[in-house]
Amino acid sequence: MMDEFRQSRLNRHQAAIRWKEDNKSQVIGTLCCCVPEEIIHAAGMLPVRMLGAHEETTEADLHFPTNLCPYCKSTFDQALKGKYDYLDGLVVPNVCNMIKAMYGFSKLLLNIPFVYFLEVPQRLSPNGVSFFTEELVRFKESLEKFSGREITGEALRHSIKVYNDNRLLLKRVYELRRRSPPAVSGTEAQEIVISSMLMPKELHNWLLEQFLEWVQGRDDPPQAGVRLFLSASVLDDTDFVQLIEECGGNIVADDMPMGSRYFSGAVTQNRNPFQALADRYLNKVACPRKMLPDERMAFADRMMRGAKVQGAIIHNMRACDPHLYEYPLLKAKLESEGRPVLFFRGEETETERPQQKADIEAFIEMLGTQTE
Amino acid sequence: MLVAGVDVGARNISVVVFRDDKVISSVLLTSGGEGTAASRVALAAALEKTGLEPTDLQAVVATGCGGESVTLAQRQSAEVVCQAKGAYFLFPSVRTVLNLGAESSRAIRVGDTGRVEAFAKNDKCAAGSGLFLETMAKVLEVPLEEMGELSLQAEGFEEVSGICAVFAESEVISHIHRGVPKDRILAGLHKAVVGRIQEVLAKVGVRKDVVVTGGVGRNRAIVKELADKIGQSIIVPPEPQLVGALGAALIARDLAAKSRQ
Repeated sequence: MMDEFRQSRLNRHQAAIRWKEDNKSQVIGTLCCCVPEEIIHAAGMLPVRMLGAHEETTEADLHFPTNLCPYCKSTFDQALKGKYDYLDGLVVPNVCNMIKAMYGFSKLLLNIPFVYFLEVPQRLSPNGVSFFTEELVRFKESLEKFSGREITGEALRHSIKVYNDNRLLLKRVYELRRRSPPAVSGTEAQEIVISSMLMPKELHNWLLEQFLEWVQGRDDPPQAGVRLFLSASVLDDTDFVQLIEECGGNIVADDMPMGSRYFSGAVTQNRNPFQALADRYLNKVACPRKMLPDERMAFADRMMRGAKVQGAIIHNMRACDPHLYEYPLLKAKLESEGRPVLFFRGEETETERPQQKADIEAFIEMLGTQTE
Repeated sequence: MLVAGVDVGARNISVVVFRDDKVISSVLLTSGGEGTAASRVALAAALEKTGLEPTDLQAVVATGCGGESVTLAQRQSAEVVCQAKGAYFLFPSVRTVLNLGAESSRAIRVGDTGRVEAFAKNDKCAAGSGLFLETMAKVLEVPLEEMGELSLQAEGFEEVSGICAVFAESEVISHIHRGVPKDRILAGLHKAVVGRIQEVLAKVGVRKDVVVTGGVGRNRAIVKELADKIGQSIIVPPEPQLVGALGAALIARDLAAKSRQ
């Protein structure tokens, strides 16, 4: 049952190319979870989250210094090598410094017909929401001009509904993962969320319904282990979560842009769709770029509620400033609640798996013996 | 009840054989070659002193970076857990264990009952590890075991940045070329190593008693410098390289006791 989700990640480029041919439409790349994909979906296009490739970068090294975000570098390396040549458009949101820089790099060095810089306000305020509402209208108009197709209010409302359905289904997956013992593993849940960022949403919703039915009667539930919370900046594959689970942990709650942050918080359906989208993407996505530690800590609390979390693993990508600034606060908060923390500074191409494994085993043994 | 703990480290293999509540035999061998064969040799050597056979052992637990190669072991246990258990068995007053091995330095916070509360290790760098000291001993043409004593005789020290093992080596070589006495270079080198160790220690905090385990614990200059820096006395067991194997043996003892029930 998991294979379709997994294949959608492993064969993401072929799948997108096939989708373009079958649907005679465009594929739009996105970076970060602040891009309202609903507008792209309502234009009849396929939004796909750009992912790194876990191989040594070669082309990007000519343009990027070594001390920048390995995820952006790897993603850009893939684009320079032609892996993303099928992209008709790219939406770069104004989030962290590195993603912002991807706009200029893309304009200069990639041959993508439509590159849009989405002005996402840094701070939250009523003015910010009204600014972002206007920005989303501008974004819609740009997409219309590019595609030559009108994005109707009806189409946008339908897309919002399809996306909200997806959020509800993903929430159910997370509820099953939170059970004791878990009915869904952390690796499975992450695979499912990543596939949601790549697949057409209607197909993903249909597959999720099949999955949720299949889970009820599964004969291979995950083994019960030490229950962990995972906070991460970028984990664009399932290797790290799988490593933790192979060492005897269960990821039962998370705080990750390619996890819970992607789908938490629905878009209100009975109001102006642009206002509703602006509200959801600004107010309900708990991203550290906003520098609102209270909101972030409250989000972590909400994710952990009822999950019987024994300890936490924090995985921050090297050079991911917003997450690294926040790390001491999150660590102090978790430890004050009696949840020991294990920290990793990650790379896109991880060469330190054996050391990571040794640390995770030690951490899990430490937590396991403390609860025996 | 007869059990054994085997610690396969980056440099040494140690074995502790435990009967009831006593260590009855132990060995420390320089690891060379394939781990499975080497651990068998070490275990056989430890048992030889007792006249017992491997088949007499009721449980074997392995630890260390090569722990997986010990095919006789029923279980692998994490190094930090074994170091903490071993140190707590020897010194129940221990609250901080500093395991200074060949490949890495680890600081472990130990709770009142001997359980691990937190741990940290050196971050992606060889400076501060035992293998680094070994390389420096070769560069300075001083036997490894004499580094500490020679350093303690120095009047003053020569700065070594200690930021990177490779840079530190070239710094040391340039000091040699300038004719700086070896003891002064060693004193500077040890200060740099202690600086790295302190960074690790700071991540878990210092609570007394502090016990140093692992081969670097045999270097008196490092232990003295560290004690001065943290303002605490430091306990070093007579055989600091056996503490991990001792901890593994204690886990084996618990394992054997459980299977008896």
